[in-house]
Amino acid sequence: MKNNVKNSSVASKKKKDTVTVSAGYLRDIEKKVEDLETIIEVSSIISSTLDYSRLISIVMEKAKHIMQAEACSILQYDKESNKLVSEFAITGQLVTSNVLLKDRVTFDIGQGIAGWVAEHLEPVVIKDVYLDERFYRKANQMNNFETKSLIAVPLVGRRGLLGVAMVMNSKDKGHFSDYDAGIFQTFCVQISAAIENSRFYTESVQMEKFRQGLEIASVLQKSFLPETPAFRKGNLRVSATNIPAEKIGGDIYDFLEPVSGSIGVLVGDVSGKGISAALYMAKIISDFRYKSKMIERPEVVFNRLNEGLSNSPMGMFLTASYFVVNVNTGQFTVSAAGHPPFLWVTNSGVKIMDIPSGPPLGILQYEYTSSEFTLKSGDSLLILTDGVFDAKNTSGERLGFECLVSFVKEHREKDTFVQAIIDFVQDFSNGAEMSDDITLVELKWQ
Amino acid sequence: MKIDTAEHSDYMVVSIAGEIDMYSSPALRDTMLSMVKKNVATVIVNLKDVKYIDSSGIATFVEALKKMLAYKGKLKMAQVPDRVMEIFNFSKLDKVFDIYGSLEDAAKS
Repeated sequence: MKNNVKNSSVASKKKKDTVTVSAGYLRDIEKKVEDLETIIEVSSIISSTLDYSRLISIVMEKAKHIMQAEACSILQYDKESNKLVSEFAITGQLVTSNVLLKDRVTFDIGQGIAGWVAEHLEPVVIKDVYLDERFYRKANQMNNFETKSLIAVPLVGRRGLLGVAMVMNSKDKGHFSDYDAGIFQTFCVQISAAIENSRFYTESVQMEKFRQGLEIASVLQKSFLPETPAFRKGNLRVSATNIPAEKIGGDIYDFLEPVSGSIGVLVGDVSGKGISAALYMAKIISDFRYKSKMIERPEVVFNRLNEGLSNSPMGMFLTASYFVVNVNTGQFTVSAAGHPPFLWVTNSGVKIMDIPSGPPLGILQYEYTSSEFTLKSGDSLLILTDGVFDAKNTSGERLGFECLVSFVKEHREKDTFVQAIIDFVQDFSNGAEMSDDITLVELKWQ
Repeated sequence: MKIDTAEHSDYMVVSIAGEIDMYSSPALRDTMLSMVKKNVATVIVNLKDVKYIDSSGIATFVEALKKMLAYKGKLKMAQVPDRVMEIFNFSKLDKVFDIYGSLEDAAKS
């Protein structure tokens, strides 16, 4: 009994919802369904196309077909120049993209119909372009195609304006209708998403290539530094710590034996950062190794290096200290070229060794000098680059040379005081991005 | 970083404020090279409001200096703050640049 009641209720509701429509309305609905089906079909093709040129080519061909238009054009928005750039257009059966690529047409934002659409981010349907004062008449002469009517729709992605899509001259009617504009707008949503995907893909491919290039550069650069960061010769023990701020850095250290019984230790910092600093560093290391052979006097090596670097590009220079230590006596000679003072750590304290220094290498003609000292058992020399005391914390404050010296004074008795300094600098930075490379070299006389 | 330039009868003053580092030095380079291009005889750089300068910033001045020396131009630094002077002292840039206490002293010399 209950079932009968229910069925009767459904039947009555069905009767109530029945609507009579005209054959013309049905035809319109059917056409809309067909058009939307075509858009969905085409969308799946374009959303899987990541190559930008190919994507634009397919999009224009399909837009022309769906809209029954004589021509289609996609104008890209160039953020840098704030202009619309027309690189591709398809007219008739002819792909004129090659012609247009050679002679790109640009529009200012606000100029012409496309410029108006880009400025107002609103679509327009124009039945007769000659009656519309926004129409830029020269556009017709530029692409050898006579536009009579058009639909122009802004292409907008998550990062803002991407461009403007236009279809020109309806093939089967005198002009486009509002219905056509609605369909084209729906299609343009799909075009925007596809263009954005393609751009993200291109950017990620470029980023990956750049990352791989940096990885290789980083490995190559490490190969310029000594194979092992620590060694012992006679009573001298040398150890180095180098932490580049980026994949590749501009700090240098090098150990060599210019003459038997002597060890040469170079610590330097190339101006700037990144690829240019790394390339310049590679040149300096190779010059240094060549020019320091058989020479015991550090000032002579600096004079020769300075001469070779005098034509450095873009004002690039090197601050450096070069030590030549006699591994039998502890006597050492040092020259400085605009490099921060080194620290002499003894049993009784820490001395800041601000020795007479010339300007950085590669700036001026200069006669460098040297200073001589002798190490005693237990003494250490600490040579560093400015990245150590210029370390910045998240509040933007810098550590400072004096603060670093105070830390060294307090912790000089620790066997692992170099590691303690690194930890101190990194704790100070407290996760802030490293702004400069850090290099610390310790010469310990045992 | 902010850059202001002021033209005087026989010299130009470039006033800089903020941090001169690898990110801001390209803009400074454009300013300095535009003066070099015009063969400006004397450029006084007012560093009064500079908080920090790194080696890329110094290289920008070195490049301008080298180019100016080629046409016998003069690059002068004025009102260098203590923090920046410390960097200049460590790098022995007092041997490279002419440094003055005030803009007037730089203009007079």
